[in-house]
Order: sequence, then structure tokens, then C-alpha cells
Amino acid sequence: MSQSTDLSWHQDVEENGSRPPLSLQDVHVSYRTRKGSVQAVRGVTLDLQAGESLALIGESGSGKTTLGLGIVRLLVETAQVSPGKIIYRRDGRELDVLSLAEGPLREFRWRDCAMVFQSALNAFNPVLKVWDQVWDTAKAHRWNNREEVRERFLDLLRFVQLDPDRVIDSYAHELSGGMRQRALLAISLLLDPQILILDEPTTALDILTQRTIIDLLRRLKEDLHFTMLFISHDLAIAAELADRVATMYAGQVVELGPVEDIFYRPRHPYSLGLIRAVPTVTGGFEELSSIPGSPPDLINLPTGCKFHPRCPFASERCSREEPGLEKVGDNHYAACWHTDAVQEDIERNGLRGKRRA
Amino acid sequence: MTPIVELRNVTKHFGSGRDRVTAVDSISLDIEPGEIVCLVGESGCGKSTTGRMVVGLLPPSEGQILYQGQDIASMEKADYQQYRRAVQIIHQDPYASLNPTQTVRQMIVTPLLRHQTLGASRNGGGGGRRGRRRDVERRAAELLEIVDLTPVSDFLDKYPHQLSGGQRQRVSVARALTVEPKFIVADEAVSMVDVSIRVSLLNMLYRLKDEFDVTFLFITHDLALAKYFAWEGRITVMYLGRIVEEGPTPRLITDSRHPYTQALLGAVPEADPELAKKKVHIELRSAEIPSLLNLPTGCTFHPRCPYHVPGECDLLVPPLDLIPDGGSVACPVRMSEPGQIV
Repeated sequence: MSQSTDLSWHQDVEENGSRPPLSLQDVHVSYRTRKGSVQAVRGVTLDLQAGESLALIGESGSGKTTLGLGIVRLLVETAQVSPGKIIYRRDGRELDVLSLAEGPLREFRWRDCAMVFQSALNAFNPVLKVWDQVWDTAKAHRWNNREEVRERFLDLLRFVQLDPDRVIDSYAHELSGGMRQRALLAISLLLDPQILILDEPTTALDILTQRTIIDLLRRLKEDLHFTMLFISHDLAIAAELADRVATMYAGQVVELGPVEDIFYRPRHPYSLGLIRAVPTVTGGFEELSSIPGSPPDLINLPTGCKFHPRCPFASERCSREEPGLEKVGDNHYAACWHTDAVQEDIERNGLRGKRRA
Repeated sequence: MTPIVELRNVTKHFGSGRDRVTAVDSISLDIEPGEIVCLVGESGCGKSTTGRMVVGLLPPSEGQILYQGQDIASMEKADYQQYRRAVQIIHQDPYASLNPTQTVRQMIVTPLLRHQTLGASRNGGGGGRRGRRRDVERRAAELLEIVDLTPVSDFLDKYPHQLSGGQRQRVSVARALTVEPKFIVADEAVSMVDVSIRVSLLNMLYRLKDEFDVTFLFITHDLALAKYFAWEGRITVMYLGRIVEEGPTPRLITDSRHPYTQALLGAVPEADPELAKKKVHIELRSAEIPSLLNLPTGCTFHPRCPYHVPGECDLLVPPLDLIPDGGSVACPVRMSEPGQIV
């Protein structure tokens, strides 16, 4: 980025004081299907603080994408968000996102809260040039000064390190995967949103391209203090970019804490299981182990703790009573009856398996 | 020892005329029996094309592929059939590689009956045929146990849509094992599987190496998986159709020499916040990968390489030279510089 590009519009975030720009309160999402109700998100309570980046991690079916789509109300019609509340705050005003009418909802999306989708190719209209889509978006949000919009978008393209004159008049298929992802990021920033939701922002990209996207997101985070919510199955994205991590399993946040705590002092067996299942590249050889079993059936969930059928720490109590999030450290919460046993296991066996060489 | 699989200056072109691309450009590779060789690189580097040529699914445009010392292009029919049985592939997408209309039992039993691997005669008498059917059923159950689909009776009559991605991939492996392969090409075999399941699949594959003397060509874009699976083997790094570096895994990971390998290792995100912070990132001169339709001259990495020497790198195709620390590197400029990633 040319450092002179004016992106200082973002600084207002911090003036909001301590009130989080986004609060999820006991959010539930279910999908109606012929076989029954799929409980994709079950009671998530979470505050997204101004300027922080929070990573939602978990496997497929953990509810992370459903939650992300729920925040911007882009879920399919068969989905139902209830009970639960999503509160959005900006400049002292407060919005109840779930009860917004169509007009204000359109304002909220993109201008307040923008989402960057996983598949950058599908997010573009294949028969429109990039600029035409940007212009459409601006007009839909009643920004009708063509020159101003173009200027702003060219700046953003420079910020995401693309050749602005080339990209602005291209069709999506003329761009490489990494360029598309960056162009999409530029479009998402067009209306100066306060919050960015990024769903698997680097999945399916090659390593060197991934790195350019990660570095770009880090600049958004560190230099511009964007409030970001990452959704990823990839622990590495969380390790690289998150301030806080929320581990999701079977539609619930089972552990929430600062990134260092989750990676080095996890207290939930599922977080620990994920860490022990993922190899590092430059960290020497470590023995890995996977989590036995497979993710639960979201129509017929297990009783008690939803993780207990796969959990090496499970006791009889776990199959009867479902644990809630309890404080286990500073800003660190875990939903498990056996957080002490998890801690002891790490002390005894190390975080990852024994290292060779 | 004769390599089980040997590639000699293998090249593969696709298309013709102006649209001709060279997906694989004169690569040579020896794989010894019992070895694990990992082929890593980004999309378009030719790693999958190489895998498909090794299995016989694509003929090379130039060069030879040898199985146990014999060129597969000029094998007698019986030898060729033996080679095709001995060399199997596990594909990336378990949702596309299994027949949706067949049960697990059918998928395993059919090749067992077809390939006579149980030593029974196909034209045996009435009782023999029934006996053979019993043997085949028993073998099918054994194979499912080997790939950890237990209890077997839960899986035999399932269709693919009733299985998870990880379970499907296990069926693919069991199916490959029906013909008692000596060599398995695993092409991104665990990439589509959830992280919590990946390691158990890898560990299962690793066990096949020890228990059945299977040799592996493991193709992946994921360096962390390559390191884990091939720690006692070798990694071969490909870039735009050529091998740029290869060597024993620990050396390649801790002391890589080719600037491209170093760039990959420096760029790969780490699932560990401290490691992620400590990493040295190599700044490339260009972020965009050149088109295969219009490859740069000389070293194809030179337009992106930070150590590029004008008049040298852009003119000469660097040879893959042996280095004393193990393996070989196609970069005369940097081959003796120790790599430093962390």
C-alpha cells in the first residue's frame, strides 16, 4: 500500500469506548429439514470488541458459517434464528439486527458490517466487470457520485496491492484466485464498514497467495484497527491473525479466550484435540493424534456434553449434564466438567506429542 | 537396488500449437521400494500430472517411466497388467471417486473376484466357487478392518452417501488394497477431510508401509502434512513443471536451499502463534505466478526470485545438482547458502 492512501476513516471505532460494536446474546439457529430440525447454532453469546479480531474455529458442521451468515441475515429461508438477539452499535446508536426491516437491513449490510465469502469466484457476477459491480453497490447504497466512488475504489485496490487500472475493468474470470480474493476484500471495504466478517478467507488459495492475503488482513488489523470476525477450519489462520479465539463444536462456543491461551493453555478437550491433530511445518517432528469418532448428528444430538462420545476425558456426568462456559482464567472460558484434567494432561504429556529430531 | 518406480526425463504437454502447455518438464525421479516420497508444490506445478503418469492414467509425451526396471510403454501385456495392479492411486475427492450406486461390499468384493488375487481358480467347481465367495467375503472384512472401518458389519452394506468424507476415503484405500498394490500414489488424499480426522488417515496409510511394504508417492500442497507423513522419507518440490529441490525431509524443512522452497516455508501459515511470529518471510519480486502458456526463460522462478542474477538466471535452465547435505537443488546461485526459516 502507498502509505499515503487515506484510510483514516476507520479511526472512529475506538471512540466508541468500551461498548462492543457487536453483541450476540444466546443466539440459536435451526434449519427445517424433512428429517427434522437441524440445530446448527445453539445458544452463542459473544461480544466482538472494537478493533479486535476474533477467530471462530471448528470443523465442518460446527455452526461457524451459519453464525456468520446469521449476523448479516443471509441465511436460507429454511433457517430460523430464534431465540436470540444480535445487537449492533455504532456512534452511540444501537440496532437490533434481527428485527431490522428490509431497508435498514440493506444499510446495515456492507455499510456497517461487510462479509467476505469463501468462494471469491462465486461472489462476483461473471458477466459484469469489477467496476460495474462496485458502481451498482454504491448506487444501491445511494452513493451517486461516480467520480468519488471510482477514486475511492482505486485507492482500495492500491491498498490490497492490485494494479488498479487493470483490475477495475476486468471480469472476475480474468483474475487469478488471489487477485479475486483481494478485489473482493477491496469491495467489502468500499462503504467503510465497521465490522468485517471473513468466511475462510484463505482456503483454496496457494501458499504464497495465502501469505499475501494474511499479510493484508494483518495490516487491516494492526494499522487500521478493523473489527474482524474470522471463520475458519484452519487453526493456522487463527494463530496468525486472531487476538481471541472461539472454538465451536456442535453449534456452541465450547472455549473462548486470548489466542495464546487457546493455543498453549487450552482447557477444553476439543481445543486440545484440534491442536494435537494439526502438524506445524517448521516446528520439528511431533507425534500427532486425531480425535476419535466423527462430528455429531445435529438432528439427534448426544445427551449432556455434545463432545462426550469423542472425548478422552469424559465421565458419567458428561453424558447427563451439559456444561456451560465457565471462567478458567483471565478472559478465558471453557465449557467442560474436566478442565482441570485437561490442564494436568498437558502438564504431564506436553501440549503436542513428543518431538523427534 | 532397482528403484520400484523410476522417471527418466519425463515431460507432459497438453494441447497443441499456440495453446500447448508443458505441465511437466523433463523430470527425473527414482523411488526405492519402501520409500515415502512427497511431491509438493502449488496448483499448476505438475504434481498431479506426474502422479497420474506414474499410475498409467496418462502417457508421458517424452521420456520413460519404469516399473521395476521395465519401461511401462514397451511392456508385454502380462507385465503391464501386473504393473497396473501393483500401482494404485487414491484420489483427492472421495465424493467423486466412489460409485454412488454401489455398496461398500460391492466396491471391495468386485475387484477381489475380478483379479483372482486370492489364488483360487475362476473356473473352479460348484463347491469351489462357493468356497471362493466365502474367501472373498472374509478378505473384504479383513480389508475394512485394516482401514479401521470397524465394526465391519456396520459398513459393508452402506452406500457412499451414508458415509462421512473420512470414511469414504478409507473405503478408497480398502478398494486400492484389494489388488495388493506395491505402490500407492496418494493425490491430496486427506485434503478434503476434517482436520480432526486427517491424522488418523495418515497414520493408517503409514501403517500400510510397514505391514504391506507399500511404497508411497504422496502428493500434497500442504507442507505440514508432507513433513508429518514423509519425515523419514524425502520431499520433492515442484515449480511450474520442474523439480527445483529435493532431499531428505528434515534437511529440506530445516535447511532448504532453493529460494522457492524457502519462500514456501516462510509463507506457510503455522498453527502456533509463536512460530507464526518468529517466521522469516521472503519478499518475492512478484506475487503473481507466471502463466504456463508463457513461461519465463531460464529458471522459471527468476521473475519472482529475490536473489535473481541478471544475465544468468534468465538465460540458463539451472540443472538439478547434488548437494553434500543430501538431495539436490536447481539453483547454482543459492545452493551452498544455508537456509534460514526460523
